[in-house]
Amino acid sequence: MTSNPVFEARGVEKIFPGVKALGGVSLSLLPGSIHALLGENGAGKSTLIKVITGVHRPTSGEILLDGNRVHFANTREALAAGIGVVHQERNLIPRFSVAENIHLEQLVGRPLRPIDYAELNRQARQWLDEIELDVDPTRPVSELSVAQTQLVEIAKALSLRSRVLLLDEPTASLTPSESQTLFSILRRLRDSGVSLVFVSHKLEEVLEICDRVTVLRDGRNACESQSMQGMNRQDLVRFMIGRNEQAGGWRKRDVTARPVSMALQDVATAAGHRNISFSVRQGEILGLYGLVGAGRTELAKAIMGRIRVTGGQVLIDGQAARINSVADAIHRYGLGYVSEDRKSDGLVLSHSVLANAGIVVWRKLAGRFGRLSDAAVRKAVLPFLEQLEVKTPSLAQVVANLSGGNQQKISVAKWLAAGVKILIIDEPSVGIDIKTKAYLHQLIRELADRGTAVVLITSDMPEMISLADRIAVLDNYLIQGEVENDGVYDRMSQAIMNLIHHEAGHAAVPA
Amino acid sequence: MSKQSLLRLAQADWFGPLVVTLAAIAIIRGFSPDFLSPYNIQTLLIALAINALIAFSQMIIIAIGQMNLSVGAIGGLAAIAFAGMMQVWHLPVALAAILSLLIGIFCGALNGALISATGISAFVITLATLAIYKGINLGITQAQPFYGIAASVKHFGNAALFGLIPMLAVPTAIIAVALWFLLTRLPIGRFILAVGGNEHAASLSGISVRSVVILAHAISGFLAACAGMLLVARLQLGQPSIGDDWLILSFAAPVIGGAVLSGGHVSVVTTLLGVAMVALITQALVVFSIDPFLVQVVLGLLILAAVGINRLRETHLIARRA
Repeated sequence: MTSNPVFEARGVEKIFPGVKALGGVSLSLLPGSIHALLGENGAGKSTLIKVITGVHRPTSGEILLDGNRVHFANTREALAAGIGVVHQERNLIPRFSVAENIHLEQLVGRPLRPIDYAELNRQARQWLDEIELDVDPTRPVSELSVAQTQLVEIAKALSLRSRVLLLDEPTASLTPSESQTLFSILRRLRDSGVSLVFVSHKLEEVLEICDRVTVLRDGRNACESQSMQGMNRQDLVRFMIGRNEQAGGWRKRDVTARPVSMALQDVATAAGHRNISFSVRQGEILGLYGLVGAGRTELAKAIMGRIRVTGGQVLIDGQAARINSVADAIHRYGLGYVSEDRKSDGLVLSHSVLANAGIVVWRKLAGRFGRLSDAAVRKAVLPFLEQLEVKTPSLAQVVANLSGGNQQKISVAKWLAAGVKILIIDEPSVGIDIKTKAYLHQLIRELADRGTAVVLITSDMPEMISLADRIAVLDNYLIQGEVENDGVYDRMSQAIMNLIHHEAGHAAVPA
Repeated sequence: MSKQSLLRLAQADWFGPLVVTLAAIAIIRGFSPDFLSPYNIQTLLIALAINALIAFSQMIIIAIGQMNLSVGAIGGLAAIAFAGMMQVWHLPVALAAILSLLIGIFCGALNGALISATGISAFVITLATLAIYKGINLGITQAQPFYGIAASVKHFGNAALFGLIPMLAVPTAIIAVALWFLLTRLPIGRFILAVGGNEHAASLSGISVRSVVILAHAISGFLAACAGMLLVARLQLGQPSIGDDWLILSFAAPVIGGAVLSGGHVSVVTTLLGVAMVALITQALVVFSIDPFLVQVVLGLLILAAVGINRLRETHLIARRA
């Protein structure tokens, strides 16, 4: 292909207060191409998409459209320049008809002229035909399936004459056959000259339909606008995970003499896991590694009683456990879960430090008639908050005002206060700075040293290798194998990648 | 009519409320033959005319997914302003009416501006302005009514077209048609519903959420002022307590009509039917000589029932799609 790029980003930097989200990222999009944009959580994909679509302005670097520098002050300007986006969250008005949703932008320019619905429907029909979507334009979108609404959003973007169309995880909630329909539409759009950007965690899909790829890692290009020709899954995984970093701080911890604290035997879940077996000993840190979408968080939620376990069994201290609810998991079996999504799952941001740290011990501390005194809660949680050196002006401080690292400490402290014996920690360092991260790692090791069994879920390879004693690799809702960690980054990352690449059986690391 | 089109009809928003309304009329008529006497119809229509405006005033705010606790206070302030300007300043009726409507629009727009400028919830803002507007009302009137209502206004309050349809219903009918047109045909009305349906999507489509919120509140203030002035015409005096008992009714009618409180779905027709149902039930209690104080209890039960039915319908829809 010799055509000129329709869109280019050159050396784009985006600095938020205290965080460098993008550190000089480049990307060039050709017409008639499907360009994959890959990267793990926190790699900077969504920031880049927001810069491209005018939500954020870049701190430095330039954006070029047809070779000319442009500045988008807002999303409308980007839209007007022909950059359309189909977001992950649905952006349609549920009660409005398909036709009206498609043309909402156009209506904005003429707020007082009565709407001619017949004409609107006729025009919408054209765009729907373009993507061969057979729905009645007069139907409200609330009556459509997820796949159909997604296609309506694409029709909407096309009606704005988008030349660049970004699709943020378009297949996340589609069935395989719906995805195939989408792909055939995307291919046809590509052949008609549209430049598509496809963001996905499903590498098979990327290999199937993309012809070029950009991978981000830690806010930088791990690869920039390369041809997909000759690339396989392993190449992509290597770009995403990277191997130029060193894992620090690992030390050998021998726990083989300790009793097994929790064991899963052939567990199957309603989320789709099958034959999940692993065990973790007291004082051990078991890593559960997998790319986003491998089913890690879902597995944690299944263990915690949030997702139904449909087969196999979970043993706690050697006894078969029946965990039907989160309350069971916490109060009967001493399980704790530090959520990946602190803000929505882990902490009540608008409540005080004390209330957050004490939330899981309330039940234990509640006196007669459920009476609960602040003093009792304070006594129970203060030692742990001090131990973790949570920096807060007072226990009455609202958690939302604390830094990410301190928030994370509080979500750990509350489980310590609850006296959990098994702690599942999901992506502990998403969104916190390097110094806090090192501190947090130290904390996790100390927890394990004091006998807590830790299941560490992370897609951050260096973090995994510097912390875990043993690493189980999860992919596609299956355990692909286990490796004994020896702290040597190159060897371990290669072994883990081999497992993700479905070369199970070679789990043993060549010495 | 084929079975399918009948089914479609049955699924229309207004179908259920209409059936219930007609059934209620038939039942009450059965017990009390003079229920449909010209006099009674007139009384019903007058109640309908004023209550519909009160309900519309709340409905337009429900459309954007907010609430307006100050509808009664705005209506009351506009009402006493209307009466006061006639009595104290001897202003011509038309001028007093226009100024009072402007007061209503201003009070509403102020609500909207405060809400979108501060990001504080409409509940809190309109609770505060409720107290302010009511306080201004009492400050002006010293809680005493204005009696100096112009003769033409008094006449308007008593007159009837063809001896059957009260004049008071005419402005309401015009406003209902205009509102229907606004919300179903004019882009700007669609923006109001779009903001209520999915604010984020609306703003990504280039709709200025802030101006839409202010506009909706201004319309709400206008409608409340209209209701207040019609009440002045009907009561033949500027009562400072006008608006005090509007709040429950203002929510009841739209909700009974199937409005979604989270926004994005309201209907002029079903809100009118909601108002009719409330009026019929009030009448029924009179016909069956039941303690009128029970009206409030019945109203509350009706709201609960309506919300429950809406909820069932939603879950049924979701279940059917899955």
